[in-house]
Amino acid sequence: MKKWRNRRSLFKGKDIEIGGKINSETDPLGSLLRQLSLSNDFTQFTYHVNETSLCIGYYTSLIDTEILHRDVLPYLKRWESFASLSSVLPIEEVIITSEPAKIQESLLRGYLFIFNINNLHQVCLVKAGVERTRQVSLPEVEFSVVGPKESFVEALDTNINLVRKRLPMPEFTVKEMIIGKLSKTRVSVLYIEGIANKENVNTVIQRLSDLDIDQIMDSSYITQLIQDNQNSPFPQLIDTERPDRVASVLGEGKVAILVDGAPHGLIGPTTIFEFFYAFEDYYLNWAVASFFRLVRFFAVIFSILVTPIYVAVLTYHYELIPKDLVSTLVTSRSAIPLPPILEAIILELAIELLREAGARLPTKVGQTIGIVGGIVIGTASVEAGLTSNVLLIIVALAALASFTTPVYQMGNTIRLIRFPFLLMAHYLGLIGVAVSFSFLLIHLLRLTSLGRPFLEPFYPPRIQDLKDSLIRLPFSMQSKRPIQEQTEDTMRFNSKQAKEKHNTKRN
Amino acid sequence: MEEKEFQISPFLVFFLIHSVQLGVGVFGFQRTIMKSAGNDSWMTVIGAGIAVSMIIWIMYLLLNRHQKDLIGIHRDLFGKWIGGFLSLIWIVYWLLIGIIVLRSYIEIVQVWLFPMINMITFCIILLILVYYCVTGGFRIVTGISFLGVLIPFYIFFTFLFPIEYIHFRNLLPVWNHSVKELTLATKDMLLSYLGFSTLLIYYPYLKHPKKSQKWAHLGNLLTGVIYLFILIISIGFYSENQISRHTWATLSMWKIVELPFVERFEYIGITSWILIILPNICLSVWAATKGVQTIFHIKQKKVVIVSVVILFILLGSTVAIEGRENIENLNKFMSLLGLCLVFMYIPFLTLLSFLLSKIRRGNIGKA
Repeated sequence: MKKWRNRRSLFKGKDIEIGGKINSETDPLGSLLRQLSLSNDFTQFTYHVNETSLCIGYYTSLIDTEILHRDVLPYLKRWESFASLSSVLPIEEVIITSEPAKIQESLLRGYLFIFNINNLHQVCLVKAGVERTRQVSLPEVEFSVVGPKESFVEALDTNINLVRKRLPMPEFTVKEMIIGKLSKTRVSVLYIEGIANKENVNTVIQRLSDLDIDQIMDSSYITQLIQDNQNSPFPQLIDTERPDRVASVLGEGKVAILVDGAPHGLIGPTTIFEFFYAFEDYYLNWAVASFFRLVRFFAVIFSILVTPIYVAVLTYHYELIPKDLVSTLVTSRSAIPLPPILEAIILELAIELLREAGARLPTKVGQTIGIVGGIVIGTASVEAGLTSNVLLIIVALAALASFTTPVYQMGNTIRLIRFPFLLMAHYLGLIGVAVSFSFLLIHLLRLTSLGRPFLEPFYPPRIQDLKDSLIRLPFSMQSKRPIQEQTEDTMRFNSKQAKEKHNTKRN
Repeated sequence: MEEKEFQISPFLVFFLIHSVQLGVGVFGFQRTIMKSAGNDSWMTVIGAGIAVSMIIWIMYLLLNRHQKDLIGIHRDLFGKWIGGFLSLIWIVYWLLIGIIVLRSYIEIVQVWLFPMINMITFCIILLILVYYCVTGGFRIVTGISFLGVLIPFYIFFTFLFPIEYIHFRNLLPVWNHSVKELTLATKDMLLSYLGFSTLLIYYPYLKHPKKSQKWAHLGNLLTGVIYLFILIISIGFYSENQISRHTWATLSMWKIVELPFVERFEYIGITSWILIILPNICLSVWAATKGVQTIFHIKQKKVVIVSVVILFILLGSTVAIEGRENIENLNKFMSLLGLCLVFMYIPFLTLLSFLLSKIRRGNIGKA
């Protein structure tokens, strides 16, 4: 992990400042209170019960005032002694402590404190945190026509609930840890004990606990930080917003990571082919699903290769094209002054511009820009003689094909790796395309996901895992868990019983 | 034996053996063997295949006895210095395989695609690929061998196109050449099968080495079948006189392929061939690197430097070879060296290993 040069000074300085004040003075609580009241959203007031005065304090931004008014203040009237507070208050977490560090930490997690002004050595901490999150809503990135329509939200507990209600079993384990010096983000590792490979779970936990970073704002931070090869454009962990997908792959023996504040979970170990699964594939008939998977896979290959092949053929290998086809190309290109590579790069960049503009603008404006820009720029550039009709069709199709990948991050990767292919095609023709393709293959061969090969089940070849890769065979044939995950319990169900159908006799 | 996580499944030996045998030789092996054996040369393909299978069997005999790679066996039998020297000869041989494949491929590209191509740049680009593959370790090299067999396999179906123009009568009369001519042609054919000797160095990386033997033989069988298939089609497609004028008969045959959207299929063939020659070069460079590493006890961290040095040697010698004449000469030298090393030295070494162990056992018994 990279170490920031000024990181130590920043944190150590603060620690010493706080610690020093607390330790040096005889009144640790008082100095803590002074420090807390520097912030304007910290409130502190005295509350008189019988003869004693209680001091109550909290961060207004972190606690639910309703809990304070409904469940704390009324009950304080029955206050007898400090020790009895935990039985008086109708709240499960009431802690009595005197450590300033503990008080400070709890306050920041949505607790409020109560203490007797005459007795500073006992402070009561009451949990009254507020959770402000949005409702569980429709999945937007991985939308499916059939199947469940729940997606993760920004609250970790809600997300775990969404998964756990699909896996009501005690073996389903959640390991939580705190990452980030500043953000103190809760990160959970989810797996099923007895199915998931211990090595995989330990790898994930080890990598997460080794992280040394100040802020974790989203799960994509985690992907970038813990994946095996951080320089590869290919993501090596899948991010998904579908709880059903997470629950399903946990059953296959994978490990999932959920991050507080991120509406996307991470799944690993994974393979490149899993990036071409839409989870809807499992909700459709296996033949239909297999067909769509193949379509998606060939769309990706088409999207990467078609423009470079156009550039290569038109720059160097005219002879490849049969006579009838070449006349079409010649009429389309005859008025164009630019060499094929410039023509292709201009159009590819135009498409990228449209996509980027569409992604940054508000939805409604974005759509308009896409349609208007696409049609107007496309037609105009052909009429102006900057690009040929044929290339316009090819580039538009390639862009369309790159959008078929169900995982958004993979789509980005595919659009990026087109450009090296283009340049090599311009330099070495078809050989350049083949060289780039070999480079891509070797790169994919070298990649691993949590230490497991990324190109599996093609290399290393595992015939058993092919049943759910480029094609998806029926559920009755999926009785074994994939070898990729090296699960502890390899059998999912009895394949014999799965194939039998029992009808009740109709009399 | 290597650590488990670096080892590969035994059936991958099929691809390792096959991919390193099949290379640029496929483009032009017809002329060399038909020079002496004519229309009977299909027998030489089978004969050479059987001979190679026997050598593979002998290799396994040797390797199974020692459970070590060639370098270790040399050290056991001949001691540090002589053993090291003999190993170095093998390393040079493997490097030469890499050089000859690379140079012949570049020659084909120069003749058929880009006459004006800058050889150094092109060579560097290919060697960067090799470097990227070899530094990934043996699993990656195996991976590219595996994919290098599977992905370009479609290319062999295009040889079905010439079938409608074929005269199978060209094969007749059978057996109109003398045994001497056939033996000569078999010797020439053996060059097209070479490269499988890298088995001697990756043996410790096989998970169940004894189980892998049948896969090695099957890989050799596939090579033989492909050569036989192409040869029979070439014999039927060309006349004997014609074929003696084609340096690359296979490539010329592709000109007949015609699809609605593509003509001049040899361009696509040559392009796809990158994936076929890549395992050739990668495996031989890997074998050389591994050999140097074991002989001189170089640490894993510095292996990168070794492979860079080896690749520079490869680059230098490839660029230095100019013209058809020199390439042909190198080919001749290679086939001689290969024949000596693989077909004479390996059986000799196996015999020696058996004898030495008997003598040593006898000595122990006496003592």
